[in-house]
Amino acid sequence: MKYIALLVIVLTGLGGCTEPNKKVVVATAANVQYVMQELKEEFEKESDTEVEMVVSSSGKLTAQIREGAPFDVFVSADTQYPNEIHKNGGSDVAPRVYARGTLVLWTLDSTAIDLSINRLADKSIRKVALANPRTAPYGEAAVQAMEKAGIYEQVKDKLVYGESIAQTSQYIASGAADAGFTAMSVVLSPEMKGKGHWVKVDSSAYQPIEQAAVLLRHSEDSFKAQPSRDFFEFLFSGKAKAIFRKYGYSVE
Amino acid sequence: MSDTPLDISIRHSLSTAQGVISMEVALAVKPGEILALTGPSGAGKTTLLRIVAGLIQPQSGLVRYGSEVWTDTTGQVLRAPQRRPVGFVFQDYALFPHLTVRQNLAFALDRGQDEGIVDELLRAVELTELAGQKPAQLSGGQQQRVALARALVRKPQVLLLDEPMAALDRSMRYRMQDLLLDLHWQYRFMMILVTHDLAEIFRLADRVARLEDGRIAQVGSPGEIYTHNQDLSEEPLLYGEVLSVEVADDQLVVLALIQQQVRRLRLPQALAPQLTPGRSFLLRYSLETPMIELID
Amino acid sequence: MDPEPLWLTLRLATLTTLILFVIALPMAYWLAYSRFKGRSVVEAIIGMPLVLPPSVLGFYLLLAFSPSRAFGQWLESTLGLRLVFSFPGLVVASIIYSLPFMIYPLQAGLQSLPASLREASYTLGKSAWTTFFKVLLPNSKSAILTALVLTFAHTVGEFGVVLMIGGNIPGVTKVASVAIYNEVEALNYDAANQYALVLFVVTFLILSIIYTINNRLLRVRHPA
Repeated sequence: MKYIALLVIVLTGLGGCTEPNKKVVVATAANVQYVMQELKEEFEKESDTEVEMVVSSSGKLTAQIREGAPFDVFVSADTQYPNEIHKNGGSDVAPRVYARGTLVLWTLDSTAIDLSINRLADKSIRKVALANPRTAPYGEAAVQAMEKAGIYEQVKDKLVYGESIAQTSQYIASGAADAGFTAMSVVLSPEMKGKGHWVKVDSSAYQPIEQAAVLLRHSEDSFKAQPSRDFFEFLFSGKAKAIFRKYGYSVE
Repeated sequence: MSDTPLDISIRHSLSTAQGVISMEVALAVKPGEILALTGPSGAGKTTLLRIVAGLIQPQSGLVRYGSEVWTDTTGQVLRAPQRRPVGFVFQDYALFPHLTVRQNLAFALDRGQDEGIVDELLRAVELTELAGQKPAQLSGGQQQRVALARALVRKPQVLLLDEPMAALDRSMRYRMQDLLLDLHWQYRFMMILVTHDLAEIFRLADRVARLEDGRIAQVGSPGEIYTHNQDLSEEPLLYGEVLSVEVADDQLVVLALIQQQVRRLRLPQALAPQLTPGRSFLLRYSLETPMIELID
Repeated sequence: MDPEPLWLTLRLATLTTLILFVIALPMAYWLAYSRFKGRSVVEAIIGMPLVLPPSVLGFYLLLAFSPSRAFGQWLESTLGLRLVFSFPGLVVASIIYSLPFMIYPLQAGLQSLPASLREASYTLGKSAWTTFFKVLLPNSKSAILTALVLTFAHTVGEFGVVLMIGGNIPGVTKVASVAIYNEVEALNYDAANQYALVLFVVTFLILSIIYTINNRLLRVRHPA
């Protein structure tokens, strides 16, 4: 009897989970989570729609969306993953670029005032962190910037790869790596502000890090179709652009 | 060394199935003596052996072998079991499963000791032919002999045996008892054995100490302890076990095992309710009527 | 498919297992026989890697090994060793992470041996050291095998800790589990499947062989 009662409790509990979520669910790439938090608050203020963020890496979110995860909007940290979803039929509308990321070079060592890409070749710097260039646009940009500066070959053996911008930032912020490349949104985030020393990498040294969002098909047939579209459009509003700028992104 | 006595005088608290009991034992074992320890389970018999071997430190007290102090809680002496001239035959034999019979014996050799003793003991316990076997391949009696031989490799001066024959059948037990007596005669060690078996006590022991609740209830020769008649008569005593009982011609015809031989006794029929197969008795010879005395 | 991560995994797991075995033996012995009161606390500490999520453990190891912090600084200044983003660092982390998988089976194996085996050896004049190596260990083969296998398998499957402190350096810290993760992240599921298949087959073979040996051992000890 006890077991049956337990089973009933478990089943009713599970039943509760399948109830449709009234909030707009936004799959958010980990490295835009800080700015998205502020955008979410702003959006909720001006509409009566609630927004729920699911934060993970763009790759994992993409895999989950492909397998039918109940997300309404996907805010990626690049353009490749949203394009992939669009191509696979996860979305009927093409992804749109909402901002461009800014690459920075960052070190915990606040005495390194003359921080620059060329300094990475110095002996005193033993490990340089960057996001995995195969999967993260910030990593790819970092490699381009080092190649442009002509030091990639010298720095190559010092490189350590974070699986995401968040982990890369952790490597730098913990001092495990002596310096590294990350997003400007990270060093401007409330958590990291004022830690160590950072400089912007010359934006002509790497291809623009375009970050795109896509409205997912999941939202279309539901009663959330309109609020989801509203939130998607909000990302391209003047108010949102101001917020993006505040976090170190460049917007048109 | 066979003229060295062992003095034990210890206190120890012992947790048993019946609760915690406090042991208090003073016992002097004579040189070359065979002492049987008996009594109900939980009385502290095994603990006493282990204290002598140095496997347990008593809460207080003294164990002295001649002039050698083995355990002295006031002087903080606890000689390690390795450094006591003691052999221990465990109830479960504790043979090393991964070693052959010969290797089990050879394991006990001290550095530089003559290896001849291994063959000598294998011969003595009639295991030469099984020397290459692992313990798991042996019968209970064979394992028991290995355990005994192994305990003798270092030529101990005190041999401790914890219910060594409990798992053996009757005929095997007799052979083992003979073997023990032979070895005792040959090597002249002092021997303390825990046993419940009256036949064993009578055949082997010079004296028996009965433990109850951690104290020595009785000490004396088997005859003194088990015949309630405590007079020091000089009549010879024979120990026997009833095998079968029949009635014929108004008499009881009892087949009994006496001194390893099956004997037929004709006894008064009045004894019928008491004399049942498996019971032990003492046969007291005298010039007058022989007397039968039953023992518990 | 690049075979290097697989080799690296094999090296890491083998090295971790061997070193951990040597470290764990005396600890297991102590835990099995000591009557020290603080024993349970030590046992609990050893078990912590079972409870802590690997990425959390990895994060704390990252902080500990970081050259900007006391311990990492000390390592670097005295031993010239930087454990973060290095193969030795992975080995050290794996040792910590797999500690209970080695110690618990060894301890349980020793505790399951009859006390009389040890005591018999003592009364036969043999030291605790001789007793351990000549009596207790040879009769704990099954437990040793279980400990080695669990540790090896657990290290092969290790991901969170390696990802956190390894830095994904090809040929140094990019082990198979991380390589699989990378391929999945890159939506390159075919390559991920290939790595996973090789890992699966190799591990399955190793375990099958070892358990076959183990069953044979058990049969020798307990003949029908």
